[in-house]
Amino acid sequence: MNAAEKPVIVADSLIGQRIQKKDAPEKAAGKTRYIQDMVVPGMLHAKILRSARVHARILSIDTSAAKALPGVHVVITAADVPDQQPIGVARDHLPLKGERVRSLRDEIAAVAADSEEIAEAALRLIRVEYEDLPIVAGPEDAIKPGAPLIHPAPLDAEGRPKTLPPKTPVAFAGKADNVAMRFDYTHGDLAAAEAESDVVVEDTFQLHYVTHCCMGVSGVIAEFDASGNLLMYSNTQVPFLHKREFAEYLDIDPARVRIIQPPIGGGFGSKLDIYPFEVICIFLARAAKRPVKMVFTREEEFLASPTRQPVLLTLRSGCRKDGTLTFRQVHTLHDNGAYTSWGATTPFVMMQTFSSLYRVPACDYHTTVVYTNNPYAGSFRGYGNLQATFAIEQHMDMLAEKIGMDPLDFRLKNAQDAGEVTGQGMTFKSCGFKECLTTAAERSDYRRKHADNIANRNARGPVKRGIGIASMLHVGGGAKIYPSDGCGTILKLDDFANVTLITGASEIGQGSETVLSQLVCEELGLPISAVTVVNNDTAITPWDVGVHASRTTFIAGNSAIGAARMAKAKILAAAARKHDCDEASLDLRGGFVVKADSGEAVVELARLMRSLHFSDKAELVMTTFYYEPPSVHQDKGFKGDVSAAYAWATQVVEVEVDTDTGIVKMTKVTGTHDVGRVLNRLGLEGQIEGGVVMGQGYALTENLIVENGVTRNPNFRDYKLVTAPEIPEMDISFVESMDGEGPRGAKGVGEAPSICIAAAAANAIYNATGVRIFGLPFTPEAVYRALRGVTSKPHWQAWKPE
Amino acid sequence: MTTIERYAAPKSLDEALGILQQGEVTILAGGTDLMPQTRAGRIAFKPTLMNIRDVAGLSGVVLDGDALRIGALTTITEVLDDPLVKEFVPVLAEACDHFASDQIRNAGTIGGNINNASPAGDTLVPLIVLDAEVELASKPNGSVTTRCMPLAEYFTGPGRTRRAAGELLTAVRIPLPKPGHVARFYKFGTRPALDISTISIGIAGVMRDGALSDTRVAFGAVAPTPVRAKQTEAALEGRRLDQSTIEAAANAARDEVNPIDDVRATAWYRKELIHNMTKRMLDHVAQA
Ligand SMILES: Cc1cc2nc3c(=O)[nH]c(=O)nc-3n(C[C@H](O)[C@H](O)[C@H](O)COP(=O)(O)OP(=O)(O)OC[C@H]3O[C@@H](n4cnc5c(N)ncnc54)[C@H](O)[C@@H]3O)c2cc1C
Repeated sequence: MNAAEKPVIVADSLIGQRIQKKDAPEKAAGKTRYIQDMVVPGMLHAKILRSARVHARILSIDTSAAKALPGVHVVITAADVPDQQPIGVARDHLPLKGERVRSLRDEIAAVAADSEEIAEAALRLIRVEYEDLPIVAGPEDAIKPGAPLIHPAPLDAEGRPKTLPPKTPVAFAGKADNVAMRFDYTHGDLAAAEAESDVVVEDTFQLHYVTHCCMGVSGVIAEFDASGNLLMYSNTQVPFLHKREFAEYLDIDPARVRIIQPPIGGGFGSKLDIYPFEVICIFLARAAKRPVKMVFTREEEFLASPTRQPVLLTLRSGCRKDGTLTFRQVHTLHDNGAYTSWGATTPFVMMQTFSSLYRVPACDYHTTVVYTNNPYAGSFRGYGNLQATFAIEQHMDMLAEKIGMDPLDFRLKNAQDAGEVTGQGMTFKSCGFKECLTTAAERSDYRRKHADNIANRNARGPVKRGIGIASMLHVGGGAKIYPSDGCGTILKLDDFANVTLITGASEIGQGSETVLSQLVCEELGLPISAVTVVNNDTAITPWDVGVHASRTTFIAGNSAIGAARMAKAKILAAAARKHDCDEASLDLRGGFVVKADSGEAVVELARLMRSLHFSDKAELVMTTFYYEPPSVHQDKGFKGDVSAAYAWATQVVEVEVDTDTGIVKMTKVTGTHDVGRVLNRLGLEGQIEGGVVMGQGYALTENLIVENGVTRNPNFRDYKLVTAPEIPEMDISFVESMDGEGPRGAKGVGEAPSICIAAAAANAIYNATGVRIFGLPFTPEAVYRALRGVTSKPHWQAWKPE
Repeated sequence: MTTIERYAAPKSLDEALGILQQGEVTILAGGTDLMPQTRAGRIAFKPTLMNIRDVAGLSGVVLDGDALRIGALTTITEVLDDPLVKEFVPVLAEACDHFASDQIRNAGTIGGNINNASPAGDTLVPLIVLDAEVELASKPNGSVTTRCMPLAEYFTGPGRTRRAAGELLTAVRIPLPKPGHVARFYKFGTRPALDISTISIGIAGVMRDGALSDTRVAFGAVAPTPVRAKQTEAALEGRRLDQSTIEAAANAARDEVNPIDDVRATAWYRKELIHNMTKRMLDHVAQA
């Protein structure tokens, strides 16, 4: 290369650009192959027989006719898997139920056959005799004295409770009451704070069942090789946790379990636990000695995939006349359903909102999670925060009104600032909360509209306009719940300076592949097209805790940056050696090693890579990095700085309420999010728009109707997702608080956009009509009833254990 | 699992009626009701499945004397876009505009909507207030015969009609509206697209000197079939359409319907909607 040929490369940044998702063309073209599309040679098709009763003893199961059906390979019941172990956080759930069914989703038998049709026909041939037991239809019934027990202790031959070794799982030992879990948190002097209050409000809020409605329904393929190693094609969001747990259930070395994730058609938290169908599919594959595929029908997805946590919540809040918050006291009753999954643990997040969204000197939080015969709740985007925010942000408006203060000023007075350490021990290193409040309020003209709407409440015409505000706090830098909250990266450059980014972080449609590639390219001065991401095989990728807690961009992003920086150092050192200059004077830009000050190209990166590789001291650039965030586990009192960063947002919702029909039309959402830093602007906007719509569905239309343990609307005709014409106008803006720990300053945002919508909508309906509604969803009939004053307010005598 | 033994796709009406005459036939048009219902096990296929999509002459809208004739196979999209429909009976187009989604409208037919005989079928209420008649053809003894019947009398229960097993619905006929004719349709669903009516309302009549005559009112989804509301009609017929008439009619409407509770709404709420929206529609007619 002579001097004249040396191009000058201008510095260019990908950060903040609008970058198309790497998987978009395939998905838009319908070419993505989901688990539904997968065919493994020799595979069988499986179906599950679920309970026909809500709560019953199983007297007998006869599978003989099903086994005799041509094309059926295996039929299993609990009796065929005496080694089955309980699953779930409380170890209260056996995949196949042998003695008792506790909800309509309960798995009794499973069939593997040559086709789905044959498997279905076989299910119809299985005879089950039941003896009905009294149904516990709601959480309030579950805690009544003398309530039927959902998990009674087994009795011995004389009818006395069996004596079992200590630490026997609940699934075998039972429970003396229907309480699945309890959470108690407190900070500050509640009595003193209450005594100082000029105003106190207390209300009970009722939060309903909704479910994720992933376009890709649940599915799995399980296969054992000749040596007994298990290979699973799975939709899971937590492959490494699964690998370990399946090994435990099968009593084999985790090294013998490999999980491959085909592209996942949506997760939203629904694929965060281990479910009976997965374990059952493994049992079938083991028995059939063939690969077995099991994919839910849409109806099954409604009936047997987890729900958001339904909650009955009583909140007492107080403040002084000058607008300072004094205390909050919260009692919640969580309807666990028949078994314990992540829904039971949503108090971890809920209490953060109560203790720390606003500065509050005293906070007292109690949750009782109880068993019922209902579908069981799992994790769902926002993880309890939608429920908590619904209550807290309505109370913020109510307190403001009582003391005659503007609701925005009241919030600003109590909002957190950077540098604060909350009663729960959360440390807000970066915090754009106040800027979110003022930006969203200004962009939506909140103050003026709020006042105008009140003035127009009694104007003629059935349609009233309203505007409401709500804000949220959520973890934005992971959440230290497991021993590690980290993620590993392997990064490799080939002879053409193309990068393979091997990351533990799963892609579930959220755009992680794209943003991780972007962060790597930013370090290495390469175009996005230079990166191939490998992220779906536990035999290849390094460990990651899973896709949850809005953590992937933050944790996997820092991990990818760590590996890229190591690669960069190695490359620059080699270039400096070869070109006889100081490595500190070099940089990577546009596919070249350049002089950092002038941008003058020193050598094309691909050339350098080849010269390193094809030399007598052959060298490859391949680095590994593991990022562990500097967060801590909570102590026994739920205190501790559990996340490396916290995300903030304010959303303003505008509605039109038709008082003749109760129809609430969401006309506009103005959202301002403190995301730390905008990385991929396109991905971020997409994430927020989708989240807003999910929040809109939660607020207005979605409702899984469960009556006496029976789901009444397991289909998209009667379970109403928001459709395109209902989606409001959106004005989305960002606060860049440049988090010191975040990748290029960014914080997590995945769950944030869904969290405030229902709360803001409640405030908007009040602003429009003067009627406050304490229960969700705001379906036309519910709103109409409230407007006509024929709804009873949710009520619950907060239950305190002696 | 289905027990279809024979699939037939006749090309002519004559051929189709011949197959029907042999008995035990399920008629398939767009299939948008038939397929989900058989899959869900709510209805069973008969041994012969006869697809009528290829039968010539069953599709399209024409002027036929003093009536508009809409062929049974005309799709909801075709009805929605048809210039004659727009000109003479725009209320029918309006109902089609609130019907399902584009995909369903492209497949679903008006004959299927009528014969599915759902109390929530969206074309039924406007067709009833337009005094539509159904045209039924059969071939009982070697030659084709046709009879007509007012649509308001056609339905006997959910999924049940007065159609005889050997008959095919060939068309629906709508008398051309008289001068001064007004017609309104309202569908309440919880969302603007893809929703089954919680209630629907059709109102029609001839507006002269501020009063309605030949008044027709019909409601959907408040009874086992779409129903004409005779008392509401009587409260309106010949009266000046002022506030007191409107209020009386809305009250009559609420009193004469007898809906049920289901997953979509309670009976109480349906009655409230019937009252409030009948009133709102009449207000609009009065102001127009
Ligand atoms: C997602 C979805 C949304 C829907 N939304 C709506 C809606 O908003 N409003 C609404 O009204 N409907 C709705 N439907 C129902 C359905 O689309 C309509 O009723 C449609 O008009 C049926 O027409 P088809 O041609 O598909 O009927 P098919 O399913 O082919 O037939 C329906 C019934 O009529 C019989 N039949 C058909 N043609 C004739 C004939 N010429 N003579 C005698 N019998 C005949 C069939 O044997 C069958 O019993 C919806 C359906 C779906 C799947």
